[in-house]
Amino acid sequence: MLYLLSLIALVALMAPGLTRLLGARTGWLLMLAPLAAFIWFVQQIPLIASGEAVLQSMSWIPALGINLSLRLDGLSLVFALLISGIGSLIVLYAGSYLSSHAHLGRFHAYLLVFMLAMLGLVLADDLVAMFVFWELTSIASFLLISFQHEKAVSRRAALQALLITGGGGLALLAGLILLGGATGNWQFSSLSVEQIEGHVLLPAIIALVLLGCFTKSAQVPFHLWLPNAMNAPTPVSAYLHSATMVKAGIYLLARLNPVLGGSIGWGTLLITFGAATAVLGAFLAFRQTDIKRLLAYTTVTVLGQLTMLIGTNTSYGLQAFVLYLVAHSLYKGALFMAVGAIDHATGTRELARLGGLIRYMPLTGAAVALAALSNAGLPPFFGFIAKEFKYTGLIEMGHIGWAVTLVMILTNALLFAAAGLVFLQTFLGKRGDYPRQPHEVGLPMWLGPMLLAIGGFLLGAWNAWPETWLVNNAVQAVARGPVDVNLYLWGGITPALLASLLTVSLGVLFYVMRDRVRQLLDSANTAWNVSGDLIWDRLLKRVFHFAGLLAARFQHGSLRQHLVLLALAVGGLLAVGLLPALPQLLQGSYSPISPLGLAGCLLALAGGVAAAFLPGRLTLLAALGACGLGLALVFVSVNAPDVAMTQLMVETLSLIFLALVFRKMPTVPASGARAPWKRRLHASVAILFGLSVSGALLLAVSLPLPGDIAQWYQANSLPGGHGHNVVNVILVDFRAFDTLGEILVVALSALAAASLLGTGRRFGNEHSGEDAFTSPLLRQGLRPLAWLMLAASLLLLWRGHNLPGGGFIGGLVAACGLILLVLTYGHGQIHRVLPLAPAQLIGIGLGCAAGAGILGLIAGNAFLTGLWTFPGGLPLGTPLLFDIGVFLTVFGSALHMIDKLTGVRH
Amino acid sequence: MEWLAAITTGGLAGLGLWMLLDRNLKRVVLGVVVLGNAINLGVLTAGRFFGERPAFVETGNTVEAANPLPQALVLTAIVIGFSLFIFALALLKRTRELHGDKTTDSVSSITEQPAPDWHDSEHESDGAEARR
Repeated sequence: MLYLLSLIALVALMAPGLTRLLGARTGWLLMLAPLAAFIWFVQQIPLIASGEAVLQSMSWIPALGINLSLRLDGLSLVFALLISGIGSLIVLYAGSYLSSHAHLGRFHAYLLVFMLAMLGLVLADDLVAMFVFWELTSIASFLLISFQHEKAVSRRAALQALLITGGGGLALLAGLILLGGATGNWQFSSLSVEQIEGHVLLPAIIALVLLGCFTKSAQVPFHLWLPNAMNAPTPVSAYLHSATMVKAGIYLLARLNPVLGGSIGWGTLLITFGAATAVLGAFLAFRQTDIKRLLAYTTVTVLGQLTMLIGTNTSYGLQAFVLYLVAHSLYKGALFMAVGAIDHATGTRELARLGGLIRYMPLTGAAVALAALSNAGLPPFFGFIAKEFKYTGLIEMGHIGWAVTLVMILTNALLFAAAGLVFLQTFLGKRGDYPRQPHEVGLPMWLGPMLLAIGGFLLGAWNAWPETWLVNNAVQAVARGPVDVNLYLWGGITPALLASLLTVSLGVLFYVMRDRVRQLLDSANTAWNVSGDLIWDRLLKRVFHFAGLLAARFQHGSLRQHLVLLALAVGGLLAVGLLPALPQLLQGSYSPISPLGLAGCLLALAGGVAAAFLPGRLTLLAALGACGLGLALVFVSVNAPDVAMTQLMVETLSLIFLALVFRKMPTVPASGARAPWKRRLHASVAILFGLSVSGALLLAVSLPLPGDIAQWYQANSLPGGHGHNVVNVILVDFRAFDTLGEILVVALSALAAASLLGTGRRFGNEHSGEDAFTSPLLRQGLRPLAWLMLAASLLLLWRGHNLPGGGFIGGLVAACGLILLVLTYGHGQIHRVLPLAPAQLIGIGLGCAAGAGILGLIAGNAFLTGLWTFPGGLPLGTPLLFDIGVFLTVFGSALHMIDKLTGVRH
Repeated sequence: MEWLAAITTGGLAGLGLWMLLDRNLKRVVLGVVVLGNAINLGVLTAGRFFGERPAFVETGNTVEAANPLPQALVLTAIVIGFSLFIFALALLKRTRELHGDKTTDSVSSITEQPAPDWHDSEHESDGAEARR
């Protein structure tokens, strides 16, 4: 079975390509996949009929205990035969029906995906797997209904179907999870009544599962989507919306009937909703003038009747369910395909314009006649047996049964009359007023209806065959206990036969008086004005409106409001968490304060305060510099020389960039919002945030540092990394992969920022520096200083592994030096000093760093493992190459940005 | 020393947030730097200041060395913070060139453009009716 599903999936993938190659005839090829499935299922009939089940299982999500387990039993087999059998005919039919459509291949693919999902649904034994296939059918149905997506009605119908069935799917998921949780059992085959009987959750499970099934199978009041779905191309209507998908809900009802059917609520709900659906569908069907919509509403009726039959839980009722399921799929599939053919041939589906078609389309007409007879429930067709059993099953129920039987008689009579409309009015009588001269359709289009209609006849006339091989085991799977199955055409003069006679006479009456009946129905004008579709549209509009209101509250586009909310949340949560820990903050053991650290902290805070409140541009620059400088002092005081040097270099570079950008901008006013309340709000949010950050950090450092990772690095730096500077060894060896990512970020953001900073095109003299640097003394003094810095940067890079320094610091120092030259002598200096463009430097740098890693790979170690040689006692290794890469990347990034920024002269 | 650093971190964080909430975009960009400084100091502080000498391997020295790991983390964070700052600065420059001096909150509404496939749904269905 898994192979069959994979085969169909594979064919679905290949369908678009094949169709492009072979054109409209691809249908013959593609139908081989479902046909193979059909033949395989037919071969399983003897095995299943002997009471066995075919099992197949594959581990799917082992962590959650979900298996893709498939199980073929009587009920699955009936469905699988219908899906694959009708599916083969539909694929063939679609190839011809849409032969001129540009996206036929896509259509075939959707259709096959749907077939896969539907087969999976009826074969899955695992609740979760079944649900996944269930949702897949909804999605495939959405794609198929919206196939003619250029039409607004198609899109609307598709969305409506998706929302209704998808919404029901959510309920179903909840129901299945509750069911699985309550029983501890996730396989359909091992669920049993005892596990769930009297469970507290049983009513909730029943309600949720029914919601899922009712939406899928278009029960009132969710029936709306089914007639609208008729906007899909006819093959879709015939396959999904009459023969298979809409029966998925029915399938699940039947599948769970042995488990959940015990409760009184189950039966009552099923019969009530089923009866309401059947009656409403029948009346609405009779009002239609478009035969396709008429058939759609009769499908709604039949779905209601099937639901009722499961609800009866009597032996005849369940037999009738299986019989009617098969009978309906056969004749309704045939009728839909025939209607598609009529539409194709005549260009209309309006009843008033059709008539006398039998002269032009004898084969289609014959098929429709056979199907309509089965539809009407006349002997010896399969539909007749189904009808007899329906009545017997309902009458068995006693008093309520009689009331329900009346509903059944009425709806069946209407179906009878509808069958009359479809065949008699369309094919017999005087010639209709067709938009196009009709012609008989090709073999692929009449073959399907014909085979299905003949199937309905054969199954009815030789009913011993389906009894033994199909119906018996399907009924056993649905029933809660063993049931005797015995099909017959003639059971003597029984109440059921009388009901049948009544149905036929009523049906004839309805057909003959069809205009009167319609008038009568139309006179109940106000009732039809309560259009479900209108309510649906309004509901949808409300939902969108509400969603819009809700989104506008949160997506207001104000950065400041977002920040306030964010900071309030973080600050508030931290503060609440910190309150109980307050006493502990005072008891922590802290290291002594150094004067340098104190000065640094004060300077940083003072700089921060000035940057936050003062107006002006130069002031802000100075304030920011002070803040960074203070931080560098703190870093020195806590024995972090590498960090302090980096901070100092970065601060210098930041200020240069800031000054270059700010000088072309207006001055910055004093801070704070205009409205006082807003200012106060912002201030309090900032204070809360600052306090909670301080508190959290204090709490953290008042506890002892867990682990000994610092000691590990200290101990392994020299033996493992051949370096005395532990910080540098961490950067280029122990955590080099991290560093590689970081320099990549630096490179990328430099490339992005540079393109925004300027064009880099040069105007005027590229050998004149900034006006502020014209003093000869300065010019002469700065040049050697710059070269000194460039030389020092190389030294810092080289010694970084053992002494303060390294690639980052070296790169920053070199950038500072070169920028000094640019400011003094002009933009051209970059190109005088460097043979390459800065962006190329970045590339080379990243290449060196990655290459150092790849060398490790080549040597058979993990990526970025250090390799060392000691020529003459001098330690050389790939970490050095890596550090050179870091140096070049940082240097290139800073230069690239300054190159672009200073390129334009004003 | 830790508590002093923690208080400084909190102070800088509060100041940084205040600057981010300013209506002038230029101060917002500076706020990114101040907040970045706070975070760097915070990370370093979280590693404790127990060492009495820099984190270098010196044979024979029994004094405990500083914690090297947060130093390595902060070192790269400073450089990345630098590129982030320059990127913010570049955005500021570009925003000013394209849209003039604007307040923080109005930037998104000015620069925002409707999605290319955005249609008014009612107009669309009308159009579809008309085409048929």
